[in-house]
Amino acid sequence: MGGTDAKDILGLPKTPLSLTQEKKSRPQKESHRKPDGISREVYALTGGVAPLMPSIDLKRRPPADEKVAWKWLSFTNSARKDDLQLYHWVRVVNDVPPTGDYSFAKYNKSVDILKYTDEEYENHLTDPVWTKEETDQLFEFCQNFDLRFVVIADRFPVSRTVEELKDRYYSVNRALLRARAQSPADVANHPLMKEPYDITRDRERKRALSMVLSQSRHQEKKDAEILAEAKRITEMRLAARRAEEPDVSANENAGLDKADGVVPGRSVSPTSNSQLPATAVAPSTLTMADYASTLASLRMLHVYLRTYGLEQMVQAASSAVGLRTIKRVEQTLQDLGVNLKPKVPTKTVCDEHLELRKEILTLLNLQKQLQYKESEGSSHREGSYAAMPDTPKDRVFASDPFSFGAERPIKKDQKRKGPGRQADTPSPAHKRPRKLKASDL
Amino acid sequence: MYGGDEVSAIVVDLGSHTCKAGYAGEDAPKAVFPSVVGAVDGIEAMDVDADSTKTNSNSEDSKTESEKEKGKRKLYVGSQAMSYRRDHMEVLSPIKDGIVSDWDLVDNIWEHAFKSCLMIDPTEHPMLLAEPPLNTQQQREKAAELMFEKYKVPALFMAKNPVLTSFATGRATSLVVDCGGGSTTISPVHDGYVLQKAVVSSPLGGEFLTDCLLKSLESKGIKIRPRYSFKRKEIRAGEFQVEDVDIPNTTESYKLFCQRMIVGDIKDSICRVPDTPYDDKSYSNIPTTSYELPDGQMLEIGADRFKVPDVMFNPSIVQTIPGMEKYADMIPSVRGLPHMVMESINKCDVDIRRELYSSILLAGGTSSMQQLKERLEKDLIEESPHSARVKVLASGNTTERRFSVWIGGSILASLGSFQQMWFSKSEYEEHGASYIQRKCP
Repeated sequence: MGGTDAKDILGLPKTPLSLTQEKKSRPQKESHRKPDGISREVYALTGGVAPLMPSIDLKRRPPADEKVAWKWLSFTNSARKDDLQLYHWVRVVNDVPPTGDYSFAKYNKSVDILKYTDEEYENHLTDPVWTKEETDQLFEFCQNFDLRFVVIADRFPVSRTVEELKDRYYSVNRALLRARAQSPADVANHPLMKEPYDITRDRERKRALSMVLSQSRHQEKKDAEILAEAKRITEMRLAARRAEEPDVSANENAGLDKADGVVPGRSVSPTSNSQLPATAVAPSTLTMADYASTLASLRMLHVYLRTYGLEQMVQAASSAVGLRTIKRVEQTLQDLGVNLKPKVPTKTVCDEHLELRKEILTLLNLQKQLQYKESEGSSHREGSYAAMPDTPKDRVFASDPFSFGAERPIKKDQKRKGPGRQADTPSPAHKRPRKLKASDL
Repeated sequence: MYGGDEVSAIVVDLGSHTCKAGYAGEDAPKAVFPSVVGAVDGIEAMDVDADSTKTNSNSEDSKTESEKEKGKRKLYVGSQAMSYRRDHMEVLSPIKDGIVSDWDLVDNIWEHAFKSCLMIDPTEHPMLLAEPPLNTQQQREKAAELMFEKYKVPALFMAKNPVLTSFATGRATSLVVDCGGGSTTISPVHDGYVLQKAVVSSPLGGEFLTDCLLKSLESKGIKIRPRYSFKRKEIRAGEFQVEDVDIPNTTESYKLFCQRMIVGDIKDSICRVPDTPYDDKSYSNIPTTSYELPDGQMLEIGADRFKVPDVMFNPSIVQTIPGMEKYADMIPSVRGLPHMVMESINKCDVDIRRELYSSILLAGGTSSMQQLKERLEKDLIEESPHSARVKVLASGNTTERRFSVWIGGSILASLGSFQQMWFSKSEYEEHGASYIQRKCP
């Protein structure tokens, strides 16, 4: 009855054959038609289409020839063991009371509990902790309370924990199954055999859960504080260790203003180290830090390709500078005849390459600074600055350490790049004459 | 109702403050009256008896079995009977500390409920009784005996209060906080069974709070006049003058009963639970609310509005209320409401704790005090562990909170699948009253 109505409403043909032709003409109509029994506005709320679920037919009336009365009759309930008769209203049709059992009796379900005899108990089920009476009582409770172990534990006369009860119940069942089975293979697939109840695991789980759930807020706050404290301390320690470790090139030692006598600088002379002003502090330390962190992160991956590592280092080193500078660095490298990527990437080679790159960077930086200063200086040329404190930014490194003395008075100038270049690693390939000024030497 | 099948059962809930009785399947009890009995001892009041029976034809006097031993004792039950003052009438309560102490009085109360309020014949209706969670076996047997022998009911069931409250909100597992008249009981319900070992109870109930308020007002010099003790004469239009009527033969207990009725009303209308623990300094300047007593006096109540309800959360405040010293020794062992809730939850098995935290139900007359739910929720969230989500549920309707036990009983007794669980007369005759332990877990 619902199906044909729905089809009517939707304008679907009753037979599939005429589907295509009628469909085109129907869409016009279906919005105007409405089923009986619902007002037009309500129907429009659903979008003018019948609901997807079949609706209850409200107007279905019982056939007129039936006589329906409601009578207060008694009934029996098969779920009851006695013969109590209670009364309720019953829909009586044509004076014939309905037959059959009480409609709710089918909901009387319970769990099947195995029952054991005394001899079975003697043979298989004895236990040092559990007496027979207790086991009997346990099984009776399991039957009454439908295996709700929390309630059973609550009502059990001897106080036992839920885990103990479960353990006893399941082990008894397993012993019974094994004893009653024809062969071990029969019962191997029974869920009780496949996954036995493990009391220690259950206890552990509950202990952990109780620790989570029974702490009061105060305790939790204290725990959180302690954890935060511990975290802070470990981080401090880690940072300190990291600072000590890295096998860094001597280049950037200038940037290290910590006590790093431990630093295995390659060709750093301690004296020059101490003499060095904090040269180029900003960019150097930045690269230093980057270097250190990349090193640390690389160390996390225990195995990596050296070229990959090198790239990371290069990235780190050049992260602070602009694209143009990087290009100039690469240009310089090419001028010097060095490949952009070393052909044989062993550790020494890579390290040297990196150092080279860094030095070039520094070189370029210093050159830039020099130019600025010169332009400044030229504006003051009328002034009394006879000896322009023009620091020899890029000297020939390996040679003339003594000229360092001439620049002594210039000393630490935060804005300029001090003569820190002296202590740099004498990269063999790096001898670039710089533009000499009149005020030099 | 799909799961319902009405068998016209009667639900009776005898609380420590009020008795509720009515038909199962309805949403509120028809008969609600104070569960105290006025007893006029026959020996002293021989001559007065005749007068009172003539003047008040509504009064209930029952011929109890104990009449022969005690001499004629007339008992009056019901709010109408109790509001009429009689000479030498002692007010007796059948329930002490949550359990029944005098079955005579209980019998009378039931009789009043069946015969005068509901006007039913007990032999035709199965009875559902609500009992406190820590009821002893002896009490249950006595109740069953009384019901079957005297009232000859066809079937009986005794359900625990927290279980009924839980069913009234549609839950099988919850933590029920029952703030009743005589006591506050916190009981966890798991899968429809009360976990008896985790029930926590305290004597602080609505009546205790009423007493606190009464003593506090008296200590401020305000005299609460019971309704029978004064007459108002209109001396001029709109103006009344109060005259004390001296009635010598009124008992103290009756006077107290009347005073408690008045103060109880004050408490219901203007008391509020404070949002933070009460202390005298911050509430000393609170604006007062006015309340008009029956004798025309206007009361201005300020700090007491908040102080008295806070006794539930902080029992040690009682010591600061003058006149309540006799409770001072009992107080240290009583803890506040949030602590009791946590205590009860921590006594339960770990696995169900989370579920209990998230379904805490409020029931009982005292729980409809304003702001109780919010304060309890706030305190619990502070005290409970972080991982537990605390949710306190209470019906918005105060009538539902007061009668939640009764409503749960009404729901239970009209379920189709409950009809197999009745303890019938034939089972009683066959197995005896002790079988009730098996039938009504």
